[in-house]
Amino acid sequence: MEPHLKLIPEFIDIVKSLQDTIITNVVLIGQTPAPTFREEKRTAVFLERLTDYQVDECTTDGYGNPIGIIRGSSARKPPIFVVAHLDTHHNSENELNYEVGSNFIKGPGLTDNSLGVAVLASLPIIFRKLDLKFKSDIVLAGVIQSIGNGNLKGIRHLLKTWSTPIRGVVCVEGVEIGRLNYYSAGMIRIEIECRIGTADGWERAFRPNAILVLNEVINQVLELKLPQRPRSRVIFGKITGGFKHGIIAYDAKLGLEIQSDSDQMVKSIYRDISDIVEGTGHEYGVEMNLKTISNVNAVKLNYNHPLVKTAGKIIHALDIKPVSDHSESELSIFLSKQIPAVTLGITSGENYHLDTAAVEIEPIFKGIAQVVATIMAIDTGVCDEQQLA
Amino acid sequence: MSSNWLETNTFHYAQFQDIGHLVDRKEQKGLKISLCLPTLNEEKTIAKEIVIMKSELMTRYPLLDEIIVIDSGSADRTVEIAAEFGADVYAADKILPDLEKYRGKGENLWKALYVTQGDIIVYLDADIKNIHHRFAYGLLGPLLTNDTVKYSKAFYDRPIATSKDEIRPTGGGRVTELVIRPLFSLFFPELTQILQPLSGEYAGFRELFEKVPFPIGYGIETSLILDIYEQWGLDVIAQVDLDKRVHRNQDTRALGKMAFVIMETFLKRLERLGHIKLKKELLLKMIQYNLVGNDYEADILDWKALERPPMIDIPEYLEKFKPR
Repeated sequence: MEPHLKLIPEFIDIVKSLQDTIITNVVLIGQTPAPTFREEKRTAVFLERLTDYQVDECTTDGYGNPIGIIRGSSARKPPIFVVAHLDTHHNSENELNYEVGSNFIKGPGLTDNSLGVAVLASLPIIFRKLDLKFKSDIVLAGVIQSIGNGNLKGIRHLLKTWSTPIRGVVCVEGVEIGRLNYYSAGMIRIEIECRIGTADGWERAFRPNAILVLNEVINQVLELKLPQRPRSRVIFGKITGGFKHGIIAYDAKLGLEIQSDSDQMVKSIYRDISDIVEGTGHEYGVEMNLKTISNVNAVKLNYNHPLVKTAGKIIHALDIKPVSDHSESELSIFLSKQIPAVTLGITSGENYHLDTAAVEIEPIFKGIAQVVATIMAIDTGVCDEQQLA
Repeated sequence: MSSNWLETNTFHYAQFQDIGHLVDRKEQKGLKISLCLPTLNEEKTIAKEIVIMKSELMTRYPLLDEIIVIDSGSADRTVEIAAEFGADVYAADKILPDLEKYRGKGENLWKALYVTQGDIIVYLDADIKNIHHRFAYGLLGPLLTNDTVKYSKAFYDRPIATSKDEIRPTGGGRVTELVIRPLFSLFFPELTQILQPLSGEYAGFRELFEKVPFPIGYGIETSLILDIYEQWGLDVIAQVDLDKRVHRNQDTRALGKMAFVIMETFLKRLERLGHIKLKKELLLKMIQYNLVGNDYEADILDWKALERPPMIDIPEYLEKFKPR
């Protein structure tokens, strides 16, 4: 059995002894608002925590991504990255309120991804408690502008300017423990906007309704024949519009995502939707705009890549069955640059994107032990010889 | 009026961020420090207060020697949760059980003097949503770094920088600005320099707390300031800007009751100190009116102006702390 697997039960106990520190980081970081593009306050708290833990180097890159570097013993080994995105879906810039209970923590933005960031901030003190030293530098990167319109700009910029090779990567997400992401589907995220234009007096009553126009777009997209292979789908994720119940909606917005194992198929579906939008706008005589807000290419590690196999074994060692699915996140950007990477989840949770998002405390210790064991495995060389698929 | 007190005795928590230095000062002086959290139905906030204080000011830096919770009989899980997360939890009624039992924040703070070990006691409300360890180390800063200061009080929301011409309020709440500040202006103008006299977070040396009486309810903050000021002067008091505090907002009726109790405490103190002579007893009823249907109905708070004597007058306390 690999040494890092044998150590996992002991790791869990030791990590648990740091419960207060970990929960403190969850609360202090999680209560600091970080809407996408406005992550400065959380960046400051994250760096403050790393500085408090005397991490060797704490800085922000030119784009504003906060980074802590724990120096390794070998100058020849490339660094290992541990990454969590700082921004949350929660849009408030006011301080958030978290609740800690007997075996839960509750609060907005917790699952995606305040818990992940808190784990990242806690790693220096966890390594110290576990008495772990690494050959590689460990780069703890809290990246900004990740989700939604952020379009992974933070990580894209960080990697564009990072000058040395990277040995391997663990991306940390709050939920769910047992997830093992090692591939990304090709994806384009688009926003379709319909604007009728305001009209005076009676004329308004005879204008098309923006919501119904978007409904027509949805119907036509649903009629598209999407292939089973390469696996492809369109997800309608957001819709907003209108002013009040008794007034015809003069604006409406639809957010959707095209996903496929094939980049070509993503582009083909995108072209089809673009034609539908243009045609519908022409037919109804309304202003229609289609905007791409995010895109990533399909990319993956092979299932038998040593990093994937090792991470799977580690999750099994926690008595959890690994669940693999695609993930369009920081992982995609690392994989697209031929850097071996996986995404791991920390604990179980519920109400992921609501104000009542909650996570269980007890599994957190297993989740962190898994992250530490995976970093150890990378440091012992599991990523050093294999190429990506 | 001591005109430079505001300048010399007003601090910002950031001045005390070097917690290691505070620990050094504490050890040099051979002091013990207790944190007391008075509770009544605080299950939503108590755990995070304990966890953060324990993690940052006990485990990482040994600034606090104990965290105690004194509960007034919570009906929710406050007591269980506080114990689960490692605080020493006491039911207020079980402390000095031979005394008559009262319920109120002042009662809990007073009884804390009996169960805590510290030479310095930090009192924090248990409902602080944005709790941060600065609330404790910020208050301890002036006490540990300045030999004159014996009592420190929090204030909040003071803007860090404003232009010279800009006038900003000092962040006092409605009761402060409508009740306390006018009364201080009339009778103790020096005390108007205390920007938020009703803030619920303060810390001080046992040697002061044990020598002053504690009103049972809302009047505790006002009476502590007046009694400490009268006995030891303004220079032993400091105030610390703790940045923001997010707390429960109370409606005007509730604040009216609070104002009533504070005014009663204040007037009694004035009389005791010889500033005024009340020719008749105060009517200890706060009368508010509700419109019920088409009728006005009186809503009367019968107030018992209860006050605990200085703890040093309690024989059990003297017995317990005799070696000091």
